[in-house]
Amino acid sequence: MKCIRCKKTACVALPSHHSGFCKDCFPLFFTKQVETAIRREKMFTHDERILVALSGGKDSLALMLELKLQGYDVTGLHIDLGIPNSSEKARKKVEGFCELHDLNLRVFEMEKWGLPIPDVKQHVKRPVCAVCGKMKRHHFNRIAREEGFDVLATGHNLDDEVARLFANTLRWDTAYLSDQGPTLPASDGFVRKVKPLFRLSEFETANYAFLKGIEIHSDPCPYASGASFTHHKELWGELEYRSPGQKFQFYQSFLKKGKPAFANLEKEIGDELKPCEECGSPTSAETCSVCRIKAAVKVSKAKAEAE
Amino acid sequence: MITVNLEPDGEQIEMSNTRSVVAVLNKLKLRSTMAIVVRDGELLTADRMLKNGDTLMVRKVTSAG
Repeated sequence: MKCIRCKKTACVALPSHHSGFCKDCFPLFFTKQVETAIRREKMFTHDERILVALSGGKDSLALMLELKLQGYDVTGLHIDLGIPNSSEKARKKVEGFCELHDLNLRVFEMEKWGLPIPDVKQHVKRPVCAVCGKMKRHHFNRIAREEGFDVLATGHNLDDEVARLFANTLRWDTAYLSDQGPTLPASDGFVRKVKPLFRLSEFETANYAFLKGIEIHSDPCPYASGASFTHHKELWGELEYRSPGQKFQFYQSFLKKGKPAFANLEKEIGDELKPCEECGSPTSAETCSVCRIKAAVKVSKAKAEAE
Repeated sequence: MITVNLEPDGEQIEMSNTRSVVAVLNKLKLRSTMAIVVRDGELLTADRMLKNGDTLMVRKVTSAG
């Protein structure tokens, strides 16, 4: 296969775009997709401060590097989850990456905050991935607001977005279907959230990360085995193979035709949000779920220690 | 014989009678956009041919978490 731009031997084949690119032209394609996402979805400008959530995986590190190369004012935020034999490796990758590329980084430690994820796994009956995700979103939003960032960017790619949309659709979850999208505007208590990689697949970000020499943390989370999103991604991988371009079409059509209908429905039946009495984060209850979980773990730990 | 180092699994697999990248992917039950394939630091598309003694790194792209 030849590169569609320069006719050299291609190193990345993209059936959904009916094209292939060589190692020099593929990053140009990647940059263009990110530029288009930022412009069309009005994500941010060069005058704004962007906080980028960094897990240590290929997507978040690729996003951080690409935004820096495009001249944006970016700071990384890594949350050290406190999971033995896993979190320290991810943190090391993020710190090494930021040092190498001269990038600002802020690290938040769950253990110092009083709730490492192993405690959640041990003391909370709900699935640990759901609670961990909730905790991370809470701190990303809180830190972005407290430290005056204009926008929070995450490395969610097209596969992440399609898997999530698929899961939300299987449950007909109107609340999630009403606001899923590449740009979530700021609202009371919430910073603006954006996903500049939403036009790019995991395959595309993996190729970009490899070509840019990004060393990634690729070990799966020891607590994440059998996450349903992974199964959904496999299903969609097969659909995409049979009909290249189907993922993007499903997602774009939802944004255009499905989301507005769910947003209208949610306006009628959705919960009203107010500040949490403990931490001030927006919640539909008196105390937000993160503060409730933290308190419940404290009680459960004290009880276990007393026994 | 082709040697395949599979990531992130950390497995090493030997394959005989395998002459192309797509044949390697088929044996691993992977579609071409589910993994990147690297030989001597170079990314390969699925249509590339292989030769006896090649060592490949096949990195699955689906993040697990």
